[in-house]
Amino acid sequence: MKVAVTIALLVPLATMVAAQQPQPEVHGTFEGEPMYTVLPPDRIPAIRTPEFVTGEEADRLMAPDEPVLGVVVQGDARAYSLWHLDRHEIVNDTVAGRALAATW
Amino acid sequence: MYAREVAGRELTFLVSGKLWRNSLIMQDEETGTLWSHVTGEALEGELAGTTLEVVESVQTDWRSWRDRYPGTRLLVKDTTITGSRYADYLDDPERTGLFRARWLTGRLPGKTLVYGIHVGPHAAAVTDGFLSGGRAREIELGDRTVHVRRGEDGGVRAWLGTGDGQTEPIDVLEVFWFAWSGFYPHTEVYD
Repeated sequence: MKVAVTIALLVPLATMVAAQQPQPEVHGTFEGEPMYTVLPPDRIPAIRTPEFVTGEEADRLMAPDEPVLGVVVQGDARAYSLWHLDRHEIVNDTVAGRALAATW
Repeated sequence: MYAREVAGRELTFLVSGKLWRNSLIMQDEETGTLWSHVTGEALEGELAGTTLEVVESVQTDWRSWRDRYPGTRLLVKDTTITGSRYADYLDDPERTGLFRARWLTGRLPGKTLVYGIHVGPHAAAVTDGFLSGGRAREIELGDRTVHVRRGEDGGVRAWLGTGDGQTEPIDVLEVFWFAWSGFYPHTEVYD
């Protein structure tokens, strides 16, 4: 079954980091739109081996109004702080046996 | 969120350092293929032409999520992270991506967060204001009716009318207007 979805995709990657670069290199053109290379691969490090804490522990780390991305697979609920994901953009996770990528 | 399994193969995604249509391009370590974070499509590389399966997720705040899912866990976070690295960027209405947003036609401020929905080539951008009050709203996409609603967990979902009185869930993207209008310049706006 297809499910309804919210994909978070708020922040264009590395916009801040790359803003100093006056003339980014064009990697190629897709559907008439240029793709720019603004940083080396993996300069913003994706999370490959995510570790989790319980909700009780998390309450000490989180502001109540802190934005999160949430997912539930077979009752296994996980949240990722978006302030945290700013630093990584991608989390390679496995939830209830499903390999998932949280992307931001 | 996306499933990382493609044709029976598990992929690990990293940040490619490339931008397309002012948005993230991912790269998988296994094949080097470049993927659009917005559409889930592989644009270049061995897996070009394939599309990642979308997995439902919601964007909300910690309190709402914790109340709705008391057993939730959290990706462990450094206590020094107490705000967005991009706070200045997020709060500045003039900064809309790294490159010129070509299709900003003044219909909405560039930094408006919209819920993007598309059925084939027909696209709609729905604002928070349009969804206020918690009721399901109807919009038209092509000749189809789509119901849009904000759920109790804070996430926005949409259902496509199938013509026989039934509905099926369809994808909703939460995205800045400047980015959505770059992918779908002819999008309708429901504000």
